[in-house]
Amino acid sequence: MSVMAPARARGFRGWMRGKNLAPYLFVLPNMLIFGVFTIWPAFNGFNLSFYDSSNGRTYRPVGTGNYTNILSDSQFWGVVQHTVLFTLGFVVLSTVLGTALALMLNSQRRGRGALSAAYFLPVLISPVVVGIIWKAALDRTTGLVNQVLSAIGLGSPGWLVDSSLSLISVILVGTWIHLGFYAVILISGLQAIDTSLYEAARMDGASVWQSVRLITLPLLRPTLMVVIILATIAGFQAFDFVYTLTGGGPVGATTLIIQYIYENAFSYPIQYGLASAAAVILFVVVFAVTFINYAIGRRSESI
Amino acid sequence: MSAQTPSTLAQRSGSANPQQPKWTSTGGSAPSTGAVVRATLLIAGAILVVTPVLWAAMSSFKTQAELAQTPPTLWPNHPTADNYTSGLQAFDFVHFLTNSIIVTVSATVLTLIINSMAAYALSKYNFRGRTVLFLITLSTIMIPLQVILLPVYQVIASFGMVNSLWGLIIPPAATPTGVFLLRQYMLSLPDEMIEAARIDGAGEFKIFLRIILPLSRPALAVVAIFSVIWRWNDFLWPLIVAQDESVQTLPVAIARFASQQAIPFNQILAVSVVTILPIIVIFLFLQRHIIAGLAQGSIK
Repeated sequence: MSVMAPARARGFRGWMRGKNLAPYLFVLPNMLIFGVFTIWPAFNGFNLSFYDSSNGRTYRPVGTGNYTNILSDSQFWGVVQHTVLFTLGFVVLSTVLGTALALMLNSQRRGRGALSAAYFLPVLISPVVVGIIWKAALDRTTGLVNQVLSAIGLGSPGWLVDSSLSLISVILVGTWIHLGFYAVILISGLQAIDTSLYEAARMDGASVWQSVRLITLPLLRPTLMVVIILATIAGFQAFDFVYTLTGGGPVGATTLIIQYIYENAFSYPIQYGLASAAAVILFVVVFAVTFINYAIGRRSESI
Repeated sequence: MSAQTPSTLAQRSGSANPQQPKWTSTGGSAPSTGAVVRATLLIAGAILVVTPVLWAAMSSFKTQAELAQTPPTLWPNHPTADNYTSGLQAFDFVHFLTNSIIVTVSATVLTLIINSMAAYALSKYNFRGRTVLFLITLSTIMIPLQVILLPVYQVIASFGMVNSLWGLIIPPAATPTGVFLLRQYMLSLPDEMIEAARIDGAGEFKIFLRIILPLSRPALAVVAIFSVIWRWNDFLWPLIVAQDESVQTLPVAIARFASQQAIPFNQILAVSVVTILPIIVIFLFLQRHIIAGLAQGSIK
């Protein structure tokens, strides 16, 4: 008691010293920004999805009208289809190639630094610039890719102008951007595996493929889950490089969900209702997919 | 794939065993087939990854006539810097670069300050509401700015932060990932040090500033790397907030420049090359730290 009394007598500073207020002051700035720019808008966004507005000033309540509208909007379903196909293709391709690249780079000794730097280069380039570079490289007549293809007699496909090819081009460019980053994550997962396990397996007469299947892949699984979750979120949120690569075209063939939200909310004709409903649907889907990924990861970890 | 992985493992166990011959290009023993296949694939892949960038850089030195020429050329016949001089006349690179640097540096400093303060409270104090606050922080990982674009825009509009650099800096600053990474790191710092400093009469903020922050330097570096890459490349948020050219950052300005029909494509490529260079130079100096930091941050 005699220790407490003078501390209380010192007022504010004493209170700080008594550790009562200090933690609240420490979390305050961060929580304030969270509150104002994330949590409040998140609730408000949900609320907003029950209103419609064409100018952002006057809102009229429409109940679940936005949802019934958007679910009967054929453009929306096209966007959903492109987004799901893009995300699936992107996640599978970047995880498989990333794992292969990580396994190879991890056992490469000579020239490893230079090779890693080469694969990491796309991560450093702003996605907007990536879109510009690939738009040039995939140009039907003057692009690098078709120069090479036509030189070896494979014709000149319209990578960005043919609507059956453009989504594939977008998947390939998306993978090109992220591959080096995912490989880096997977390499750190590989390096955490105890090498004596491989020695033991070899002594027990395990074949090389058995070691990969029974040691490397199971022990790499937590890291693979991280990559799959990161890739899934990145897939659903892809926007920037597509914006400069195809602009969502040709005729909407590569318009993904974020571009749909952006255009309904910020370019004429403004349809806030559709944008808000699409954002809520996107949130629910990403949340569900991440949760399922996580649950599968957890379950297989415990086995 | 399946043909590649076994050979990888063979090489791995080979190099772990000193009796096995190691692959050296000039050494007496021949490299194993697996090692040759692996090196070939790695080099071929690296060339595939790098070539489009190099080709775009080459094209930025071509004249417009040469760019449209059939059959097209790979190397510029008559290298010219015209695209750079005229491109940089139409595109105020220094202005947008300055905006990008201001936004990236201030947002990163702000993130480091508020994230580390919050992380310190959440890791080293017992206080009512701590668990709830931590869970709220974690749950906001699931609410990226893209999903709440419209409502956040309304908030900054009501604060008058549209077309101001503050609107670019403040909203994305409180990153949940940063709080989480720093908290995990600070949990590993011994409590005894803090107690000892308290007994010596140090105030709570002084303990944070003089003891916790210096010890958390590795984790702060990871958060800083993430923040710099995110803010530097940010596109969607600045596209909405910075409608006026005076506050636009490089990605927004380039996208706008590239969408102008009147501008020849080789000029756009020239401007793109100029914007890539600073990042590549920085990366070459800090490659080891950046790659290690990114890997560390993602796993946790």
